[in-house]
Amino acid sequence: MMGAVKFSISEVMAPPGLISTEQGNMPMGPVQYDLRGEPTFEPMIQVDMEIKAFVSAWKHCDYVSTYMARMIGQNRSDSVRHSNLFSSAFNELLEVAFRTRLADGELACRVSRHGATDRIELTFPCLPGERQFYQEALSQVAGFEAKERYLNSVSGDLAPSREIVLLELAVDYNATLWVEEADGDAIKLVVDLPLEGL
Amino acid sequence: MGPYDLLPRFKAQYDANNQEFSLSGVVRPQAIDELGPSIALLRDAIGRVRGVLYVNVRRLTQMNSAAFHAFSRIIIDACRARPDLKFVVITSSVVGWTSRKFGRLSGIEPNITVEEYDSQFYPGQGFLEEGAFVPILRTQTKMTWRHERAILPRHGMRPGIVMADICCGIGDFAVLVQKEFQPSRIVALDHSMSSLSYARRVMKEFDIRGIEYTYGDASEMLLDEAQFDLVTCRHSLQIFNRPELILKELYRICKPGGRVYITNEKNSHCLGEPRAESIRWTYNEVAKLFRHFEMDVELGPKSRRYLVEAGFEDIHVESFMVTNLDGDPQDFADVIMAWADVYAGEMATRRGDGPEFIARFRQGFQDHIFAALHPKGYAGWPIWVASGQRPQ
Repeated sequence: MMGAVKFSISEVMAPPGLISTEQGNMPMGPVQYDLRGEPTFEPMIQVDMEIKAFVSAWKHCDYVSTYMARMIGQNRSDSVRHSNLFSSAFNELLEVAFRTRLADGELACRVSRHGATDRIELTFPCLPGERQFYQEALSQVAGFEAKERYLNSVSGDLAPSREIVLLELAVDYNATLWVEEADGDAIKLVVDLPLEGL
Repeated sequence: MGPYDLLPRFKAQYDANNQEFSLSGVVRPQAIDELGPSIALLRDAIGRVRGVLYVNVRRLTQMNSAAFHAFSRIIIDACRARPDLKFVVITSSVVGWTSRKFGRLSGIEPNITVEEYDSQFYPGQGFLEEGAFVPILRTQTKMTWRHERAILPRHGMRPGIVMADICCGIGDFAVLVQKEFQPSRIVALDHSMSSLSYARRVMKEFDIRGIEYTYGDASEMLLDEAQFDLVTCRHSLQIFNRPELILKELYRICKPGGRVYITNEKNSHCLGEPRAESIRWTYNEVAKLFRHFEMDVELGPKSRRYLVEAGFEDIHVESFMVTNLDGDPQDFADVIMAWADVYAGEMATRRGDGPEFIARFRQGFQDHIFAALHPKGYAGWPIWVASGQRPQ
């Protein structure tokens, strides 16, 4: 059992079999922008749970990533392939969150969509020092030598660090990652995944 | 302990004959220790092989970074310790991340190459998937649908079910099913990107809803097990060199109590009057020609055996004859003409048949067309339908 888990499925997410043709056939989808010219990401699904419950079993990373990938894959041009790719990337993020050193508070996983891009917003409790770590790690992900550092890790490290896991999302999934402010002792990792193009 | 814990999540195997180490399933360990036996198996394999070790990850659906690092390190270290050894990693074009992730390894060690497994591994089928064949496939489906729409309810088709159409081709059968029977969901899978692209275009143009087209290999699908009430696979087992592998997958994705529905031909039983002898000779030769390319277009009546051997029960078998009297005889003639072009054209040439054989071979098709269009003629193309229930 995962403990207290809250699911929220947005209206834009049609259940299997009731997929709108517009979304099923047009991965680029209707594109909307807000007043500042920023693309509007439409919410798809959100899963919230207590971090204590989440970190009580490693398989929760697999459960959550597989479940959410199935839900949001339904109205992509190739639902099965998209779900597999999404689950693969999202699981890595959840495994990063699993290793948080602050096991008090809530884990919130939110997925939204703008055209061909899926956005994951993962909010989880973390100590101030860890927040600093993530900020530094993600600032390096954008660097031009990111791929080289990733390959050096694959050939040299026994196990990947959390930084390398995030780097891999950028290198292998063309992800864009950044950190946003979160309330209290928490961090919000935001990852844009353009999986339709992979 | 829930059912999740009882499922084997991944499997590592070593095949000494083929010098092949394979990983399949979902590999998402928390700690590397969990991979101990698999890593020991890989190390052992490396110690035994000479020349090349194949690392087959075609059926690896998920692998986290920790596991990828662990296996990669062993392979990279082996390259450095044994420059004589080469590694060929075989990924799947179906599992999107594998080629990208494992592809990085060749940039680290030149002795590692990565090959993507795709439809080219089914050499014979290319003949039947060319773009020019699409109109004929549509006509064929139109002709068989007249019969199948009445037959399908006897094999488990009903409104509201969840169904899969495996080897869906250009998706026209799925569309007809959607319109006629309104299943709640159809997943239609094929390994031809061009066919799927055509299918998606049709779905968009005609505003058809509820069909999910997906790219995949019928013998190793990403689809979860036990999720469909009805799984259809039409005219496809006969063009795979190992139909039992496909049936195993059809069985796996079918719900217990659900049914798997297959259709296949027995080409040597195509018939016509007049000119029956010439027609019979040619279609006997069609069967031999396909056999040359490891396809069995005589499979129809063997369906029962295949279903029994795959573990199905409550098996129903029936057959129907598509004839020139169903609708427009010109449709029948057009289909035969297309067969003649491919069978007596590229396929016969590829087999190395001489002009004399090809002329006689082509004549049988022309005689079949003659029979189809003759005001007193009769031409037939028999199809075998079979379905079996996955035990509860």
